[in-house]
Amino acid sequence: MALIELRDVTKSYKRDAIEIPVLANVSITVDEGDFLGLMGPSGSGKSTLLNLLAGIDRPTRGVIRIGDTEVSGLSERALAAWRARHIGFIFQLYNLIPVLTAFENVELPLLLTSLSKKQRRDHVMTALGIVGLSDRETHYPRQLSGGQEQRVAIARAVVTDPTLLLADEPTGDLDAKSAAEVLTLLQRLNREYKKTIVMVTHDPHAAERATHLLHLEKGTLVEQTRVPAGQVG
Amino acid sequence: MKFLGLVFKSARRSKRRTALTILSVALAVFLFSALRAVLQGFDAVSAASSAQRLVTIRSTSMIFSMPTSHGEIIRSTPGVQDLTWSNWFGGIYKDPKNFFGQFAVDAESYLRMYPEILLTDQEKRAFLADRTGCIVGDGLAKKYSWSIGDRIVLQPGIPVYGSQDYPFTIRGIYRAGSSAVDNQSMMFHWKYADERSLVKGEVGWYVTRVADPDRAAQIATTIDQKFANSPYETKTDTEQQFSAQFASMLGNLNVLLGSVALAVVLTTLFVAGNTMAMSVRERTTEIAVMRTLGFPSATIFMLVVGEGILVAVVGGIIGGALARVVVNAEALGLAGGFIPAFGVTNGNVVVGLGLSLMIGLLAAIIPATMASRLKIVDALRRVA
Repeated sequence: MALIELRDVTKSYKRDAIEIPVLANVSITVDEGDFLGLMGPSGSGKSTLLNLLAGIDRPTRGVIRIGDTEVSGLSERALAAWRARHIGFIFQLYNLIPVLTAFENVELPLLLTSLSKKQRRDHVMTALGIVGLSDRETHYPRQLSGGQEQRVAIARAVVTDPTLLLADEPTGDLDAKSAAEVLTLLQRLNREYKKTIVMVTHDPHAAERATHLLHLEKGTLVEQTRVPAGQVG
Repeated sequence: MKFLGLVFKSARRSKRRTALTILSVALAVFLFSALRAVLQGFDAVSAASSAQRLVTIRSTSMIFSMPTSHGEIIRSTPGVQDLTWSNWFGGIYKDPKNFFGQFAVDAESYLRMYPEILLTDQEKRAFLADRTGCIVGDGLAKKYSWSIGDRIVLQPGIPVYGSQDYPFTIRGIYRAGSSAVDNQSMMFHWKYADERSLVKGEVGWYVTRVADPDRAAQIATTIDQKFANSPYETKTDTEQQFSAQFASMLGNLNVLLGSVALAVVLTTLFVAGNTMAMSVRERTTEIAVMRTLGFPSATIFMLVVGEGILVAVVGGIIGGALARVVVNAEALGLAGGFIPAFGVTNGNVVVGLGLSLMIGLLAAIIPATMASRLKIVDALRRVA
C-alpha cells in the first residue's frame, strides 16, 4: 500500500530575480514499510525532496500525499502538528540540543503530546533502549561520541512512533564503524518495527541497506531500483 | 509547565552572559527602587505638611536671613494665629562627615507650632528651662548612642556664628508624629545662637499658623506685600510649597531622578534585548530543529519570551531585595535636616519586579518574533 505519493512535484528557489530549478516534475510512490535510499550527486535535489516530504518546505507545483494527508495543502500550523505526529527526522549533524541530556533530547517531541510525565519517561526509555543507550540517559551530547549522538537523534526521531522516518545523510559525519552501527539500527527499525524510511545518502555502502533506490540528477528522477531481498546488506 | 525546564536550561546555556544580564537588570531595579523611594520620601513630607502653616523666607533665597522685626509685622497680619522662627545652624559634630540637621529655634513657639514633635512633658520642661539644652530625634540619638543628659559639642560651620564651640545638653529625645517632621534633627534655643552670633537678631525663616487654610494664599500675599520694596523682601508659601521649593534647590528632583531612572531602565532594556537577540541568533539551528520536530511558532515564541522574563525577573528579585535591605536613609545616615527619611518599601519592590517583568517581556519580543518566523530550511542550510 502506498504511503508516500508525489505527483509532478516541482521545486524552484528564487535568488534575486533568477529562478533556480531544483526538482522538476518528480513523481514517485513509496509503499508502507519500504526503506528508500535517495542517491545522486550534490545539488541533484535529494535533500530538497526530503525536506518536502518532511513538510518543512513547500513544493512550487505538484501534490505530495503522505498517508491520507495532502501535505502540500496544509497551513503552517497544521503542518507543524502533522510533523509532530507523523515525521521522525534524522539530521547529518545529529542536531541534538547541547544543554539537554540524552533523555531530555529524546523527550523533546513528546512535550508536544498530552502524555503524562511517567508515560513520557516510559516512551523515552523504550526509545533509548532500542538504540542501545539506556545507560546514557543523563549524558549531555558533549559527553557522547558521534555515533552515540546519532543514535540519540534516532531515538528522538522514533520516540513518537512516527509514520515516516526521514534521514538526511545520517552517516555522513561518522567513522565507518559508527556508520555501520547506525545503518544497522535503521535497518532494524525498518525490518523489526516496520518503519518506512527515506534516507538521503552519497554513500554506496549506506545505500546497500535500502530496499529501494532512487537516483536523482539535476532535479529529475533518472533511475528507480528495487534492491533484491538477497542483496540487502 | 512542562516547557519550564526547557526555559531554565536555555537560560543557563551561557552562564556568564545570563549572569551579566541578570546583574544589569538587578542594578536597574535597585536604582529604580532607590530613586523611587527618595521621591516618595519628599512626596510624603509634602503630603504630611500642614495646610495651616506658612513659611516665610527671603525672596532672594532661603540662605539669606531677615531681621527679627519681621516677626511682629507678620504676627500682626490678619488671619495669622501663631508665629515661630528658625535658623539653619550648620554645625559640625566631631567630623564634617557627621552631617545632620541642626536648627536654632524659638523653642516654646516652635513646639507649639509643631505638635508632631513628640516629647514627654518632663523633657519639654527640661528643654525650655535650659538655655544650652537641645532636643534630638530618636533616629539621631540611636545613630550616635545619645541619651538624655549627654553633653555634645558642635563647632560652628557658618562664619556668622563665630568660631567658639557650642556645648549642648540633651534634654529630650523626640519622636516624629508625622512625615512633616524628621527624627534625624537637633533643635536648640535660637537665643543661645543669637547671643554668640556676629550679626544679632537674624532669622532664617518664619513659620506662621493661619486660622483658615482656605485663606492661606491670600495671607501669604499680604505678608509679602508688607515687605515689598524693602531691603528684606520676603516670599511666603504654604509649608507644602516650601518643602517642594527646598527640593527644587537640588534641581527639579522629580525630573532629575525620573530621568536617571528612565535612562537606566532603557539602557538595561537595550542591553537585555541585544543579549536575547544574540542568544537566539546563536540558536538558529536548534530552533529550526525544534520546528522540524513539530514545535509550533507560538510555542517557540513563548519559550523565548519565557526565557527573557525569567532572566529579567531573577535580576529584579535580586535588585529589589538588595534595595529593600540597603536603601534606608536613616541606616545610611542620610536623613536629617531637609532630607526626608526614606526607604525602599515592599511596594517599591513589587513595582521593581513589575519593571523587571516588563524589561524581560520587551527585550524578548523582537528576538521571539524572529525565532518564531524562522524559515526552517533556510536556518538548517545556513549552518549545515
